[in-house]
Amino acid sequence: MSREPRLIEVRRKVLKENDLLARALRERFRQAKVCVISLVSSPGSGKTTFLERVLTDLRPHYRVAALVGDLATENDALRLARSQAPVRQITTGTICHLDAGMVERALDGWQLDQLDFLFIENVGNLVCPSSYDLGEDLRLVLLSTTEGEDKPLKYPTIFNTADVAVITKMDLAAAVDFDLIAVRANINHVCPGMQILEVSAKTGLGMQSLMEYFDSRRPMPSRD
Amino acid sequence: MNIVDGVLEEAKRYGCAQVEAVHLRLGPLSGVNPNALLFAYPMACEGTILENSRLEIIAAESNELEITAFETAEEEDEVRE
Repeated sequence: MSREPRLIEVRRKVLKENDLLARALRERFRQAKVCVISLVSSPGSGKTTFLERVLTDLRPHYRVAALVGDLATENDALRLARSQAPVRQITTGTICHLDAGMVERALDGWQLDQLDFLFIENVGNLVCPSSYDLGEDLRLVLLSTTEGEDKPLKYPTIFNTADVAVITKMDLAAAVDFDLIAVRANINHVCPGMQILEVSAKTGLGMQSLMEYFDSRRPMPSRD
Repeated sequence: MNIVDGVLEEAKRYGCAQVEAVHLRLGPLSGVNPNALLFAYPMACEGTILENSRLEIIAAESNELEITAFETAEEEDEVRE
């Protein structure tokens, strides 16, 4: 009897597990009529400050909740809890991104149909989160004015997988000679036609149009 | 690690006791870097039936990331479908 190597063809997608889970999550979100928005960006671009502002501004009008991912600490959940919205922290240990399974587990016990918006703040990272679908309706990529204008060119994948680019810390734009035209051109270069919003969570600049945009993305438009 | 788990599951299904090589199609937009993967692969295989196996990366397009096949050195008549 020979010990000839035998080739077994399998054709198996490596990230299939996550894609299947994400698809199931998306269907669950759709049935619960909750609009799920995820945030990705580099560390320090203002995701948490932005989200705290968004939750605070939305909460009088909508039922909102948030999941927030970090490697360690409950700090962000504690910060976001100041908005009075239900918040849960996902600590990933050493993992640099959230995946659909972590989101599913974190939702345990939450009544999704009692929510209008669910926000998911990913781990601060412009690389790995781009490979993992979380079942969200909308993915926002944040870019702050204190980062380089060429970030979209350096990290094209994350911009390509996102639906909207949000430029944060606009209140600092003048102080850091931020070139808005160059950033817009760079974003457009890696993801042609991408919608770009400019905000300052500190001064409230652009938050109103952002709220209107979120409202337009809800499964059932509000009637008030 | 997704790749090792995927192969382990397939190997179990085919009743294989040892895996000699894994063939993987990998596209540039998959978010996986071939060198980083080759570096991490032996550690992910440690203590499994994939230990000391080869990882053969086949350059693919777009965001492809797929295990296409694996090699096993077992005798034909020992393998059950």
